[in-house]
Amino acid sequence: MISFVHMRAQFFQSNSRFMLIKIIKEDFLRKKCITLVLFIFIWISALLIAIGSNMIVELSHSLSDLLAQSRIPHFIQMHSGKMNQTDIELWASSHPLVQSEQTVEMINIDGSNVYLGENHTAEINSVMDIDFVKQNHSMDYLLNLENQIIEVSRGEIAVPIFYMQSEKMKIGDRVRISNRIFEMDFTVVNFVRDAVMNPSIVHSKRFVVNEDDFDMLKKNIGEVEYLIEFQLTDLSKLSEFRNSYQSSKLPKMGPAIDCHLFKMINALTDGLIAAVIVFVGFLFNIVATLCIKFTVLASIEEDYREIGVMKAIGIQQKDIKRIYLSKYVVLAGFASAVGYLISLFLNQLFTANMMLYLGVAPKSILQYSGPIAAVALMFLVVIVSCMQVLRKFDNITALEALRVGTLGDGVAEKKYFSLHKSKFLNVNIFLGLRDLFRRFKMFRLLFLVFLVCSLVIIVPVNFINTIKSPGFIHYMGIGRSDIRIDLRQTENMIERFNDMITYIQNDIDVDLFLPLVASQFKVINSQGVQENINIETGDFTVFPLEYLQGAAPRQDNEIALSFLNSEELNKGIGDPLQLVIDGNKRNMVVTGIYQDVTQGGRTAKARLPIHHETALWYVVSLDVKPYVNIKKKIDEYAKVFYPARVTDLEGYLLQTLGNTIEQLSFFTIIGILIAISVIILMTFLFLKLLIVKDCSQIAIMKSIGVSLNAIRLQYITSALLVLNIGIALGTIVSKTIGQGMVSAFFSFMGASRIHFVIDPVQSYFIFPMTLMVIVTITSFLSVASINKSYIAHMIQE
Amino acid sequence: MKNILEVKALSRIYGGSKKNQYNVLKNVNLQIEKGEFVSVMGPSGSGKSTLLYNISGVDRMTAGSVIFNGQELSTLSEKELSKLRLHKMGFIFQNFYLLKNICIFDNIVLSAYFGDNANRQEINDRAMELMKKTDIVELANHNITQASGGQLQRVGICRALINDPDIIFGDEPTGALNSKSANEIMEILADINRRGTTILLVTHDIKVASKTERVLFMLDGNIVAEQQLGKYVKANNDIQAREKRLSGWLMKMGF
Repeated sequence: MISFVHMRAQFFQSNSRFMLIKIIKEDFLRKKCITLVLFIFIWISALLIAIGSNMIVELSHSLSDLLAQSRIPHFIQMHSGKMNQTDIELWASSHPLVQSEQTVEMINIDGSNVYLGENHTAEINSVMDIDFVKQNHSMDYLLNLENQIIEVSRGEIAVPIFYMQSEKMKIGDRVRISNRIFEMDFTVVNFVRDAVMNPSIVHSKRFVVNEDDFDMLKKNIGEVEYLIEFQLTDLSKLSEFRNSYQSSKLPKMGPAIDCHLFKMINALTDGLIAAVIVFVGFLFNIVATLCIKFTVLASIEEDYREIGVMKAIGIQQKDIKRIYLSKYVVLAGFASAVGYLISLFLNQLFTANMMLYLGVAPKSILQYSGPIAAVALMFLVVIVSCMQVLRKFDNITALEALRVGTLGDGVAEKKYFSLHKSKFLNVNIFLGLRDLFRRFKMFRLLFLVFLVCSLVIIVPVNFINTIKSPGFIHYMGIGRSDIRIDLRQTENMIERFNDMITYIQNDIDVDLFLPLVASQFKVINSQGVQENINIETGDFTVFPLEYLQGAAPRQDNEIALSFLNSEELNKGIGDPLQLVIDGNKRNMVVTGIYQDVTQGGRTAKARLPIHHETALWYVVSLDVKPYVNIKKKIDEYAKVFYPARVTDLEGYLLQTLGNTIEQLSFFTIIGILIAISVIILMTFLFLKLLIVKDCSQIAIMKSIGVSLNAIRLQYITSALLVLNIGIALGTIVSKTIGQGMVSAFFSFMGASRIHFVIDPVQSYFIFPMTLMVIVTITSFLSVASINKSYIAHMIQE
Repeated sequence: MKNILEVKALSRIYGGSKKNQYNVLKNVNLQIEKGEFVSVMGPSGSGKSTLLYNISGVDRMTAGSVIFNGQELSTLSEKELSKLRLHKMGFIFQNFYLLKNICIFDNIVLSAYFGDNANRQEINDRAMELMKKTDIVELANHNITQASGGQLQRVGICRALINDPDIIFGDEPTGALNSKSANEIMEILADINRRGTTILLVTHDIKVASKTERVLFMLDGNIVAEQQLGKYVKANNDIQAREKRLSGWLMKMGF
């Protein structure tokens, strides 16, 4: 104590920067563990914020660059079936909003005829539509990994990046197209960065071939589909253009998409990850700030008498504050700088996926200044919080500090449970519990950390369980069935569909089946304009959906809308809706609203007569009898109904969401590790500070014969109880607010009410038990320094 | 009479490197018999409190031997020392050192509840009895901030006695009290001693030391002299004579 005051007094006498450095160094060495833990918190916070902000800046730049380089169309109308290019060109040339138009031909070849790389099995049962195209000439350029326009010669092919990842393809690999009558081989010379169809959640992928090869394919194999693409003179009038196209007589047998959707889909996965990283970094910052506040308070507590002495000998308050602040400025500044510097090496790891799919944009000043500004802001938040706590100096008078010698717990003298009135509880457990309730304001920090970390673990884990569960099918506008058969637009569509129905009807292994046909109709929207709507027709009571509101359509004038459709058409249950079928208006009533993240979230279901002329796809869902092996049945149907796509529902989910699940799982594991690390660090720091604070009380207990283990048990009890309250509340909050936040996010994609699927063993046993073991061990280690508290030392001091 | 405490060549050195070492206790030898009432006096820095904490196991000696009730303290582990302090020793401190987060009654019974076969009702009854004897029953549910210095020291005495220890160690037990309270505390301690409990006090107050039966004088880390005063009996009305005798002896010591 004497040396502390002496040094500080010397500092002010000499006003030496050297003395300040010496004081700071001495403080850091005196409390190595606490300093280290604070450093780690601030460093991780800076690291994550730098990485996250870098990702956001890179994402924005790379995406803009990709869209610019590829000259992304503003509006694309997909079409399968006959079309007249002249009509399109005439319409476009006379339309004031059209700057340029392009019609892209795509040859859709069934996966069963495509062999990729060393794979000796075809892409059977893949959910991806495999399309072959030539390079475009005026917009929608297909780029290579250097963001240059791809050129291929005869016999060469450029493969989508998706397959480079999923099939581990490399330059020089072979791609073979083969059915019973036609065969064609290609050599991979490049990989395609496709601004329109990049992400894995887009179920079409474009392979680039030479013009001559394209003509060969067109003549011999596959079905032609079209992308009718436009660039506009005024992007702000996109929705006006969309309505204009929808009202025209131009081909529109397929969905229409625009550049806003491309941006969103391309940014989705990496954007989500960047947002999560920044959020976690922000949480770390909050924790670091709270820890520093607590540490500063503990320091003031420890140095209370010395502060009084300094004031008594005439040292000004602002100068005393400066000493304490300097320490945290140095600590926070150094930790932030280290965090930022390390992020420069780790950035690539986090932007690897983004760089692959979107490319590397030319560097700009924002890419350097953005993360620096974010880290600097974080640093300022820490320092400002520190300064707020140091206002406590204002309340310290020299006389009080010298007489009382302690800041006090700030706990009002309430009556808490008395030890002597407790009949059954072990003394140490009782004292631990009592201390927790008595000083809950102090334990609040630890509670908050446990609560937040529980959320960081529980919400993603529950979300992944939900996506992996078979029930997720309900968010895709599909009822649960054992097998699903998808029939795409091909020759003799209707006969094949009818044959399929007959076969299934006569199959004794089949318990239930439901044929569905999705066709395009016209609906009159809220502005009175006709627009396209995809409606699935069938009996929706067979494999029922869960509806957000209402129920399945049962009558032929009833219709159920997807959530996004109901929002856009501004229709609720019981509202009338007008369809236009073959030029005739048909009045419908909305009976149900369901969730659907497929097809852009815009679908509908009704019991209309099948409309083959505008049919987009055919589906048969079926359940087999209990004794039937589903896998064998799938194989049978795949052979019999070739080239239809036959999957079980789990397989369908996996193919659609597999990549997303994999990425989410990876980042969930990272999140869990981070949360556990935070819990360990925080428990360690908090208990260490608490022991410093309680040093005199611990010394008294030891002197009267209370053993070390007994004292340790008291602290461990407090920590475990706080943890359990944190976990319990975290579980409740994740089920309510957490679930709500996930639902809010997914409402933009068509699923507005996600219910978490919870694994009870995982959530209510494994996770809490694991955390309890971790906290117990950490508490035990952090209270080891109780050894040093002795009355004898207190007297000496 | 049998010795409860035997100290041989006790040394205590503080500081790490030879350059910074500070030898507080230098080869101290001491015997205390069962039932004795002993005080230790000496100037500041003579090592009185250090002696107290080293012979009670609160602090670890550097060299020497301390045998308490036949047990050599230097061979005991931390756990064993705790147990010894819990069951066989009682402590009274100048600044009371009561736990501020529990009430006065809980402060008294706390160490007893840690006993191996603690019967809480019996302990509570004993605590109540002690509080009656020391006239602080009304403070049972009060916090320590709601009692005077003299009352708190009585609480300290009750705490020290709750496990019926073989010896009580007091470090300036009246140091923070006014003369009236100090007197009352000493009467209580004298009474406890009369009932058979050995007491060892550290003090620099002649009035306190004159109520003990043997006074040890410490100087520069060693016991240099001792004075026998005989058992103090209030009824003898000889306190002034004892104080005078002690005072004269201390002046000869240069204190």
